[in-house]
Amino acid sequence: MNTRTITATPRSAAGLPLGALAAGLGFGCVALVPLLVDDPFLIHSLIMVLFFAYMASSWNFLCGYVGQLSLGHAMFSGVGGYVSVLMFTQLGLSPWIGMLFGGLLAAGLSVLIGYPTFRLKGPYFTLTTIAFAEIVRIWVENTNDFIGVPLKGAEGLVVPAAGDSLWAFQFSSKTPYFYIILAMLALVMLATRLMERSKLGYCLKAVRGDRDAAEALGINPTPSTLAALAISAFMTALGGSFYAQFFRYINPERNMGLELSIDMAVMTIIGGQGTVAGPLLGALILTPISEMARSHLGGGLPGLHLVVYGLVLMACVLYFPKGAIAPLGRLAKRLTDRRGSRP
Amino acid sequence: MTTTILDVQGISKRFGGVQAVKDLSFSVGKGEILGLLGPNGAGKTTAFNMIAGYLRPDTGKVLFEGKDIAGKRPWDVCKAGIARTFQLSKPFGDLNVIENLMVGGFCRTGDRARIRERAEWMADFLGMGRQREAEANNLTAFDRRKLELGRALCTEPRLLLMDEVVAGATPSEAGEMVELVRRIRDMGISVLIVEHVMKVIMSLSDRVVVLDYGELIADGEPQRVVAEPRVLKAYFGERYVQSRA
Amino acid sequence: MDPLILSFAVVNGVLLGGIYGGVALGLSLIFGVLRVVNFAHGSFLMLSLYIAFWCWSLLGLDPYLSVFVTVPAMFGLGYFVQSVIISPLIRRERALVVEPLSALLLTAGVFLVLDNLALMAFGPNVRAVQVDYYLPSPMLGPIPLNPQRLIGALAAVLVALGLSWWLRHSHMGRAIRATAQNRDAAALSGINVPFVYAVTFGIGCAVLGLFGSLIAPFMPISPSIGVAFGIKSFIVVVLGGLGSIPGCIVGGMVIGVFEAVASQHITATSAAIGSLGLFILILLVRPQGIMGRA
Repeated sequence: MNTRTITATPRSAAGLPLGALAAGLGFGCVALVPLLVDDPFLIHSLIMVLFFAYMASSWNFLCGYVGQLSLGHAMFSGVGGYVSVLMFTQLGLSPWIGMLFGGLLAAGLSVLIGYPTFRLKGPYFTLTTIAFAEIVRIWVENTNDFIGVPLKGAEGLVVPAAGDSLWAFQFSSKTPYFYIILAMLALVMLATRLMERSKLGYCLKAVRGDRDAAEALGINPTPSTLAALAISAFMTALGGSFYAQFFRYINPERNMGLELSIDMAVMTIIGGQGTVAGPLLGALILTPISEMARSHLGGGLPGLHLVVYGLVLMACVLYFPKGAIAPLGRLAKRLTDRRGSRP
Repeated sequence: MTTTILDVQGISKRFGGVQAVKDLSFSVGKGEILGLLGPNGAGKTTAFNMIAGYLRPDTGKVLFEGKDIAGKRPWDVCKAGIARTFQLSKPFGDLNVIENLMVGGFCRTGDRARIRERAEWMADFLGMGRQREAEANNLTAFDRRKLELGRALCTEPRLLLMDEVVAGATPSEAGEMVELVRRIRDMGISVLIVEHVMKVIMSLSDRVVVLDYGELIADGEPQRVVAEPRVLKAYFGERYVQSRA
Repeated sequence: MDPLILSFAVVNGVLLGGIYGGVALGLSLIFGVLRVVNFAHGSFLMLSLYIAFWCWSLLGLDPYLSVFVTVPAMFGLGYFVQSVIISPLIRRERALVVEPLSALLLTAGVFLVLDNLALMAFGPNVRAVQVDYYLPSPMLGPIPLNPQRLIGALAAVLVALGLSWWLRHSHMGRAIRATAQNRDAAALSGINVPFVYAVTFGIGCAVLGLFGSLIAPFMPISPSIGVAFGIKSFIVVVLGGLGSIPGCIVGGMVIGVFEAVASQHITATSAAIGSLGLFILILLVRPQGIMGRA
């Protein structure tokens, strides 16, 4: 698609690529929001949008580029969340360090699972990822105590309050959380952009296009896909830790359930898989719907936002198979072309 | 033929009860265009896939520049310096022409700028300079075939394996392809072509080997081989040979 | 362990497993013909359970008689979903088969819509049908058989046999099998492929309608039951071999016996983890299943 075109990147007068300039401006503007408005509900909603954009981007880092549909990523989020919370409550370790351990554990787990699983194609792969994630979730849900570590089963874990402390990753205002998740999103999008243009990105896209042909061009699919999977799992786990710290609560249903995996996948697909901005766009479209259904309509219609997800997903698969970003990308290209910046 | 670049020594492959290739030996000289011929089902593609690393030979050796590559995986074969095309072309549909070509380039180096430069050059070489930003899905069948050829060349091979270069092409396209292959050889790349369309291979190859029922039945200059009774028999059947005799 | 308890568990597992197999038939049939993994499979079963429930609760219709409502209703719904939602995708794809992931996503959309509409309409409460008559329990030697499960298991075997026979001998059945083999060749031979697809999808769902009515008398009904049965059906179908009708029943019985025997020794949690583990193992080691062709 034109959005992925890398020829003749339009450059601004300063020599920076226009895309990077636009991204910088966009993030800069969003960063100003907490300074201008003082509405906790708005900030909360923005945090949720950024959080889901981050999670979807982490999912997209692997799945969007290798063209496999994982519905097991919530497992990594759960691992990240549980590890950082438990390291904090049991060992008194700062969640900032705990989340790195969670990320590494998730990355290791992902490689163990991914090595046999990536041979499977299409729906078989998807069903297997669901099965792995469900095994972990069911196990946590029914385990109160694992070799002395209190997992507390379905009840979940509460992060004990530690006051306003950067070390404990706890803040009385929502604004610090906002900046943290904003920075995390910027990092994951930057990582995706770099990956896309690197050897790894080309390998993944080649494997997505045709595995045999990729192999004929000197690409061994296994290390490339596993590397992307490990990075994707690592980032997803960091997101899980953030979520646990933000709500100061974690449970198997919310933090490692199938619904979270579906959220990550559906947002990316609706926004545009295999693009840097697609997941963000998907989260921008879908998160407000779910937040509104949850808060404004109260608990009266608990499934409404998922009905809307389903409808939007079907419409997207049928009419915008490349996601909502494709028509936007065409528009942007037409605009840049008109500026005559192409050689 | 001065030196040998590829030396196939007695490779065999059996699928269940079918002996697809039996004790096949032949060699490709440096700078040579060798045609691998045979009627449908003769074992050409099986032999091809064994050289390219997609099938492991049951027995035998495949020496490339003196090193045995039999049983190596496709990506290692490619890194060793052998590139291939497929019978049904397999472009990366949602990437454009330049991106497709660049995938090949990453096989040798991580230097993006150099790879890109080479991809641009390759697009011009293929006569596809104007389509460089076209998505592979939107190309004609023949352009996809050329793109696949270019992508293989971007891996900087010393030996190119081509599976059915002109199948389904119009006469003028076939002519263009023949011209391309000649120019590739002139760049110093040896070429092994699998083909069952006789006419093309006769004009293009320096030498041909003919397979029938998995066995080598002829090896030599095209004009001489095509007159051999065993070859005629394989292609046209017993009766044709008798009637000409 | 007491052999009587063990054989009781095995017999019960066979009966329940037969029902699992019957429920999974539609999933297997639809995959075999359309190459579409129907993610909404469980949702269709959940809907037919609700239809059976409301027929009983509002109209006083016996669950077994509600078959005359659920089967045509589910056939119609399946026909509709295929011809309105999935067929545009199939028409768009130029390749011989639909890109499996797009179809999976599409049916995942159907699953999200159906399950959550049910949640909105009926709430999360668990409902149950209570019939006011008593069915006698036939005895197999010293083992009493649960009559409702026996009916379900027998129905599963009969439906599987009937479906196989029909696919083999009827004109429509041949058209379906031809389409499954090669869509384009079937179309060239004068088969109305979109119609065959819609009918196949309809039949797959009609089978679910039947089992919705048959298990309604003993199954607690809630919106989330669809997911539970959906996951179980995937396990059964993968075990038996995607697309294989006899494999479905065999796979169901294997899972049923496994669960029944395992629950005697280990917790239900471990049994659930065990069957998911088995599912992964089968996919990795023998993806064509026990009865499927390689």
